[in-house]
Amino acid sequence: MLMNLFAEIDVSKLFGLALRTSIGVQAATFALAAVGLNLHYGYTGLLNFGVVAFMAAGAYGMAIFFTQGWLGGSILLAIASGLAFAVIIALSIGLPSLRLRADYLALTTIAIAEVLRISFRSQRLLDLTGGPFGLPSIEDRNANVSFADVITVDWNPIGKGNYGAWFLEFDEKTLWVMIIGWSLVSLASLLIWGLMRSPWGRVIKAIREDEDAARALGKNVFSYKLQSLIIGGVIASLAGIVRAFDMGFVETQQFRPQTTFFIWTVLILGGAASIWGPIIGSMTFWFVIIFSEELLRQMVDSGWIPEAILKSNDIASVRMILMGIMLATLMIWRPQGLVGKKEEAQIDVR
Amino acid sequence: MSDNKSSELGNVEPTPGSTKLDPILTIDNVVRSFGGLRAVDIDHLEVQRGIITAFIGPNGAGKTTLFNLITGFDKPDSGQWTFHQLANAKSWTTDLSGLRPHQIANKGMVRTFQLTKSLAKMTVLDNMLLGAAEQKGESLRNALFTSRWRQQENTILRKAEDLLERFKLSHMRDEYAATLSGGQRKLLEMARALMSEPKLILLDEPMAGVNPVLVESLLVHIENLRDEGVSVLFIEHDMDAIMGISDWIVVLAEGQVIAEGTPSDVSKNPAVIDAYLGSAIAEELKDV
Repeated sequence: MLMNLFAEIDVSKLFGLALRTSIGVQAATFALAAVGLNLHYGYTGLLNFGVVAFMAAGAYGMAIFFTQGWLGGSILLAIASGLAFAVIIALSIGLPSLRLRADYLALTTIAIAEVLRISFRSQRLLDLTGGPFGLPSIEDRNANVSFADVITVDWNPIGKGNYGAWFLEFDEKTLWVMIIGWSLVSLASLLIWGLMRSPWGRVIKAIREDEDAARALGKNVFSYKLQSLIIGGVIASLAGIVRAFDMGFVETQQFRPQTTFFIWTVLILGGAASIWGPIIGSMTFWFVIIFSEELLRQMVDSGWIPEAILKSNDIASVRMILMGIMLATLMIWRPQGLVGKKEEAQIDVR
Repeated sequence: MSDNKSSELGNVEPTPGSTKLDPILTIDNVVRSFGGLRAVDIDHLEVQRGIITAFIGPNGAGKTTLFNLITGFDKPDSGQWTFHQLANAKSWTTDLSGLRPHQIANKGMVRTFQLTKSLAKMTVLDNMLLGAAEQKGESLRNALFTSRWRQQENTILRKAEDLLERFKLSHMRDEYAATLSGGQRKLLEMARALMSEPKLILLDEPMAGVNPVLVESLLVHIENLRDEGVSVLFIEHDMDAIMGISDWIVVLAEGQVIAEGTPSDVSKNPAVIDAYLGSAIAEELKDV
């Protein structure tokens, strides 16, 4: 029976697909968002359950600015306005709730993320956000015209064609966005590394552990928390923008709360409060997801798992169960994540 | 020990709210109620510069609440308090009422906590470095440019190492503060507060939970502070320690100052005995 299974499994495809996804654009965007969340939660101890709000702010800020053709519709200005929108979101979350206890921030972030998503979806904003259809408009999308074209076609230095081999073969568009995505991940990680080794980072870590201690030593805790929220938020919004370039459109379905929790999973998996945590976490997350999905699919298709137990339609949900079990196991045996520091592992947030 | 500081005190009347020759802190009409309870209700209190002043009183007398109020960690219903930065200069004063904790700390009035707040997930050295005031590298503008703060960081580092040496914590320099004993954490917190070179240091029960051997060295540290010109205000329950090192004692009961004076004044004061032991026993003591 067991021999039979090994004969049926396409090992090359199994690892190939998993590896492809773990270095793909999606892994890069999740890593980028997790770098932002890492500054919030890992280093500052801010419970941000609305990571996706910053991603949505970035993506929609960019897309609206561009499709409306404001100020000549320059893509760089559009990106800048996406980042500016993220700053506004950070301020509107932070100013009212950062003086309060940590739980209030958690509630506010969840709420803002949903308010944002539902507003973008509403009929009232149809002309601006495209409502449930998103941006660019259906006509533009049918004609294959998108804000992403400037970046992925006009400004693409890579010649047309496919690059790489085996399952790691990418076309020039995907490759270019991958390069942009992982470059931004590197830059953002470098930024966080630079900040955290400075006296600024020392204050941030002190706030994570005990705000009152920092206050008693003359540090303006509120201001530091706001700075952290803004910087991390802007990094997460870049993730939203990169994803928009990859997909070629934005719509509210991309910004459901579950994305927030995937990014939390990525961060906890890799290890909060470490520079490599978000990157290792994201790559592992996608590797495991796709690996288990593909394995299950092949087992179902080959009849090794009978239809009565698992149908191929259900595989997508089962892989999430597996991911959940993996995360729970990790929490028990290695709470600091794959590359986190045990001494700084922090499950106890006030 | 209190004798060698009598010059600073002059002949101050040992009465509640008495005027000091050179106060570093004056408190006026500070009231804080919790529901119907007036936890703190102080008409007037002056804290003399350059000496060790102790706040004593039974549990619930409002000592820690008063500390929280004057350091900005709690807000009073009314009242104001003033910090006199310079010796014998009535003009150079700062109204501290309404300021936030970090602003008060930056004026030169730094506190420690009853339950120590040493940062367990940071190293002992990082705890110390955090304590230094006005660090260039703490502002986002400079943080990424090492050249802008490296020099200052080195100065701070030397200061931290000196203090760690003095407080006998040098061997723990690179350990996480979580590995320190309770007494060592108290020492670390005090040393950390000194990094900012405060003019007035407020210690909330520095001896609580510390083993007797370490208490001795803590007392020596506190006296050294005074001899270096730092004014010390501390809350304590350990009567031997208080009588041993205090130059001046303020007795609080039910939120009010019921007595002030040198240790010998206070130990003879019937109101103090009354507050501590209850009036019945005070009556009995009188008969004896």
